[in-house]
Amino acid sequence: MTLLNNTILLLLMLLTINVNGQQLTGRDIIQKVKDRPDGDTRYSEMKMELINKRNRVRIRKVKSYSIDIGKDKKTIMFFLYPGDVKGTGFLTWDYDKIEKDDDKWLYLPAMKKTRRISGTSAKKDYFMGTDFTYDDMGSRNVDEDLHKLTGEETVNDQKCWVVESIPKDKKDIYSKKIAWIRQDCLVAVKVEYYDKLDKLHRKLLLSGINKISGFWIAQKLHMTNVQTKHQTILTISKPQYDIDLKEERFIVANLSRGGF
Amino acid sequence: MNLHKIKKFIWGISIVIFPVLCSAQDNDQRQINIKGFLDSYHALQLKNPNEVMSSRTRLRTELGLSKENIYLYTSLNATYNSILNDEIQIELREAYMEYTAKNWSIKAGRQIVIWGNSDGLRITDVVSPMDMTEFLARDYDDIRIPVNGLKLNYTNTKLKVELIFIPVSSFFIVPVHAKNPWSVFALSNEDIYSVNLDDTPQKLLKNGEFGGRLSFYLSGIDFSFSVLHTWNKMPVFKRNRISKENDTTYIKGIYKRMDMLGFDFSYPLSQFILRGEAALYLNEALSEKIDSDSNYIVTSNTSNILLGVDWYPGAEWTITAQYSNKYIADYNSKIEQPKNTTLATLGITKKVFRSTLALSSFTYFDITNKGAFNRTSIDYALTDEIHALLGCDWFNGDKGMFGKYKDNTELWIKLKYSF
Repeated sequence: MTLLNNTILLLLMLLTINVNGQQLTGRDIIQKVKDRPDGDTRYSEMKMELINKRNRVRIRKVKSYSIDIGKDKKTIMFFLYPGDVKGTGFLTWDYDKIEKDDDKWLYLPAMKKTRRISGTSAKKDYFMGTDFTYDDMGSRNVDEDLHKLTGEETVNDQKCWVVESIPKDKKDIYSKKIAWIRQDCLVAVKVEYYDKLDKLHRKLLLSGINKISGFWIAQKLHMTNVQTKHQTILTISKPQYDIDLKEERFIVANLSRGGF
Repeated sequence: MNLHKIKKFIWGISIVIFPVLCSAQDNDQRQINIKGFLDSYHALQLKNPNEVMSSRTRLRTELGLSKENIYLYTSLNATYNSILNDEIQIELREAYMEYTAKNWSIKAGRQIVIWGNSDGLRITDVVSPMDMTEFLARDYDDIRIPVNGLKLNYTNTKLKVELIFIPVSSFFIVPVHAKNPWSVFALSNEDIYSVNLDDTPQKLLKNGEFGGRLSFYLSGIDFSFSVLHTWNKMPVFKRNRISKENDTTYIKGIYKRMDMLGFDFSYPLSQFILRGEAALYLNEALSEKIDSDSNYIVTSNTSNILLGVDWYPGAEWTITAQYSNKYIADYNSKIEQPKNTTLATLGITKKVFRSTLALSSFTYFDITNKGAFNRTSIDYALTDEIHALLGCDWFNGDKGMFGKYKDNTELWIKLKYSF
């Protein structure tokens, strides 16, 4: 009996060690971050403050709905501010398969017209003039990068894994990305993006990390381009999860309505 | 300003700000969305006599109001155009009601209908006519004319079915006055003319338009089929020289029934979107050349195709190119238009300084007549709400739709406040 108890205890210890990441690879951690529960459907509003090096501020506001379809994701986004882009709708069918290009449509209210746009090239462009790329705003397949767990550090009293990710696509805009990921909730608290010359290009600080409706979320994302001194503060408000949304809503015909 | 004008001004402003007042009365679960802009646009002819080509200020208000399954939308323009008139013109641009159920919706009222995927060219996009008051030297969305109609939509995750009925058709607004620099007859040899464009089809049910569009939005491709029983909304001109003594030509706009069968597609390929449209116009009205004192109007089937490519190379560049051709079947040498008419376009847009400065250039090439029209502009966001634009409309050629406006090359400025 004692032997059995000891065996169970040993198995539990091994399991605990694995959960705590001693045996985890960088890829495992990034996969766990990607798989972190965030509901099957979700809604949020985002305010983006664009601050230049002279501290001049411009504002962008959007609201976003998304739904998971297996490993794929459909997102519909409506621009709320400023007035010249108010009513613009952006629909993305985001595929997890690396080789499959995303489908994207843009509705321009001034033209009253929806047009299909490229699912690949815009990923590297900055979203609405912010310091976030479309790629930062969307979801990225774990295997688009090579991940390496480089160590553990404590940030703001929180134990974090430090994971370095190198894009497999040499045409990507950064050479590597280093993320500090909280071990307790699988949310990154800091991310550094390095340019092609391996110099720090952008730095992202995440705060306001809370559990809302049972799901962990960082509600404030502060991205600084350390080379140009331009920065963007993205604040997420009114987050809602597992709301009553059907896949039929995520269609081109709904883009022109400015909301559901 | 006399009393009548003051009353009209107050009435006009009241209509335009009505949507804003409505928002203050929102006390239930209605969702109200208000937007619009105030813009001021001024254009100066670059060639002698350097006339002011346009000088107008406009307030646009748009109100969207939704409650449960009902959506109401109105869009109003209040425009002061110091060239064309000295009064504020109030225009109800769009006003419709939409009822939405699970997979279908019905939209009734004055609405802009856009079909197809081409930029600045019309192939299957023949529902809403165009206001050519200032030719193409305006934003393209200002050129479209809404139609009064009923539209029934069915949608699911892969397709959209659109059925449309327009009881009373709308037609192109065509400038014809001899003193208007954008007159379609500006450089003709007909020195004195009298134009009648009011002989549009009678407002009878049998003269209504109807049709539909079946669109598929699939992973990796979009395509649509469309059909419309319609009219040639751009009139063709029947000319008679009744009085040779004073050399007056009487011109009448002719509108005839025609049908359109169309197809369009968009296909993404890495950084590119390949797209195209094709339409067969059955019995399209065409004018013949003037023979002695008059000309005839004939009808013929025509094929209209367009192939385009959009390139998104990144770094906020967008480059588009289009090629289109119109072919007249059953052609005879008396027809004014050539058997084949070919147009091409090239559009380039680049945004810089965090998307606050947009440089754009769009050129039409009239390959048949060796003419061109280019609109180049710089758009700078002074603040989140205020944009300042500077642009040039450049016309080139000796004949054709662009060549005849070669003296109208203009420089323009626009200030726009959006809310």
